[in-house]
Amino acid sequence: MLDLLKIAIRNLLRYKRRTLLTASLVTLGVVFVLVFISVSASFKHMMIGQITDSFLGHIQIHKKGYVASIDNLPLTLSLSPKALARIETALKERPEIEAYSKRIKFAGMFSNFVETTNIRLNGVFPEDEIKTSPLFLSRIKQGDKALRIGEIILPELLAKGMKVKVGDTVVVIATNKDGSVNGKQFQVSGILESATGPGGRDGYIHFEDAREVLRMEAVEVSEIALRLKDFGKLHRVSNGLQASLDQELNKQGKPAFELHTWEKLSPFFNIARMIDVMTFFVKLMLMAIVLISIMNVMVMAVYERIREIGTIAAIGTLPEKILAMFLIEGLSLGFFGAVMGNILGAAIIAGLDMAQLTFDFGRQKGLLLSLSLPLQDILLISTIVIVISALASLQPAYKASKMNAIDALRHV
Amino acid sequence: MSLIAAQKLSKTYRMGDTEVEALKQVDFEIEPASFVSFVGPSGSGKTTLLNLMGCLDKPTSGHLKVDGTDVSRLDTRQAAAFRGNTIGFIFQDFNLMPVLTVYENVAYPLVLVQKTGAKEREQRVLNLLDAVGMADQKDKYPDQISGGQKQRVAIARALVTHPKLVLADEPTANLDHKTAYRVINIMKKIKHELGTTFIFSTHDPKIVGEAEIIYTLEDGTLAKGQG
Repeated sequence: MLDLLKIAIRNLLRYKRRTLLTASLVTLGVVFVLVFISVSASFKHMMIGQITDSFLGHIQIHKKGYVASIDNLPLTLSLSPKALARIETALKERPEIEAYSKRIKFAGMFSNFVETTNIRLNGVFPEDEIKTSPLFLSRIKQGDKALRIGEIILPELLAKGMKVKVGDTVVVIATNKDGSVNGKQFQVSGILESATGPGGRDGYIHFEDAREVLRMEAVEVSEIALRLKDFGKLHRVSNGLQASLDQELNKQGKPAFELHTWEKLSPFFNIARMIDVMTFFVKLMLMAIVLISIMNVMVMAVYERIREIGTIAAIGTLPEKILAMFLIEGLSLGFFGAVMGNILGAAIIAGLDMAQLTFDFGRQKGLLLSLSLPLQDILLISTIVIVISALASLQPAYKASKMNAIDALRHV
Repeated sequence: MSLIAAQKLSKTYRMGDTEVEALKQVDFEIEPASFVSFVGPSGSGKTTLLNLMGCLDKPTSGHLKVDGTDVSRLDTRQAAAFRGNTIGFIFQDFNLMPVLTVYENVAYPLVLVQKTGAKEREQRVLNLLDAVGMADQKDKYPDQISGGQKQRVAIARALVTHPKLVLADEPTANLDHKTAYRVINIMKKIKHELGTTFIFSTHDPKIVGEAEIIYTLEDGTLAKGQG
């Protein structure tokens, strides 16, 4: 094998310029794909992190039918104390869950005593919310990084539009599920930066304040947001949890609760899927580049060396050895291109990472793109290049191995 | 026992709609350790006969035994293995591998055809390079040596597997007078030392003059054999 490799490499070096051009093409293809994958995957993971860590959580649990009416924030589809207790028991049995936050979500009227507008609010236990949405505190641009009873954190657009500042007193009025209207004064404790996706422009009050405004005697919860210890186990945990929750049936004999991963709740999932599709097509382009360039070189190599093939066949080289000789030549070319591409791609990605690239997404400004190049991407791209190189070399190599020695020796 | 035995050996080619009879019912026998020359004008069937004896082609009819094996029955793979073990080839244009050094060209059949151990391989290659006077050029590439030197390397390559038979198609055609004699003398010396049979297809009177047996081919027919 080593002897075949030596001959293959010498033959590649025999046509240095052609080999260099083809290897460069493969290298450029690998660099392009690695940089694209790194940038797109970093963007995707960062956005998913932003969305899930800012407010959405990894998984949410609601009463059956809530998500279908989520735009109305229906108080009639809240989880009852009994249901809540059963869910909390199920959650505590799962060590994969790092934290969960119970939320009362409702729509109300917001007044600064001069103007009135609509507001969507989340009543939360701050400690639980911070554990479930670790970026929550970092979104508070002004005021205390805390939420106490009697305080409200307002979304920045609303605060700006209503000319409300930290420390101002405001009123929230809401109708409870029985149709009774109630109001409460709050002091603005913070201004919250907007985040992308549903719920990204909601205000926050303490869970107990929400109960007071809604005159909620028993603890009823609109949603429970979950954060997992390992995001990579999202589907495994959600499937397991779904199976547990599905055992809880309502009066109609159907599951009483619904569970959604972030993918079902955020429109960014479609963008993430689009990125995956684009990545797939970029990989296809790489395959095409490698296939055509290496096949072209190997077809040329076989054509140029017909007499040599005739000679080695005549002196007793078995057809499979001749096939291996050309196959290894194409593979070496692909391997060299892949290695160079990986080195150059890693260097470019490291350079881009050091350049601290930022971008804006929606109302989120200056998001820092943290680029990385996972080992599995390097291995995947290298494998693609090497396998395609082998496939591209197979036909010319097979042709060489099946060549008639007499015809080959006569070739001029 | 004869090294080569041909009985009513015929080969017909089809060229378009025309059938060309390259060999017609040829009979001959060649003993081991012979120095044989097939002569004749172009198109007389010399190369065809050499291709048949070298298991590169199959006869249309008749029988051909080389070293006791009916070579007309071998498939492509068996024929390649048989050539690798029994037959050496010397070509008119030397046909050395340009990417291999002189040493590596000679070693090639031992590495990729016979899988001989490294120590024995080195010994055999160096001995042969010494015998053909190319030991001091062993690290050079074919494009760095002369035509005569290339042919000496080709002879070493043909002999390195210790074949019983060496087939040489016009081996001196591209060599000058002095070099051609040197190459012929090397082959004669090896024939005496190793008992190798050399069969030439040639027009060259230098080789014809040195051959022990001369077969003349005319229009695919073996006209006569001279001892």
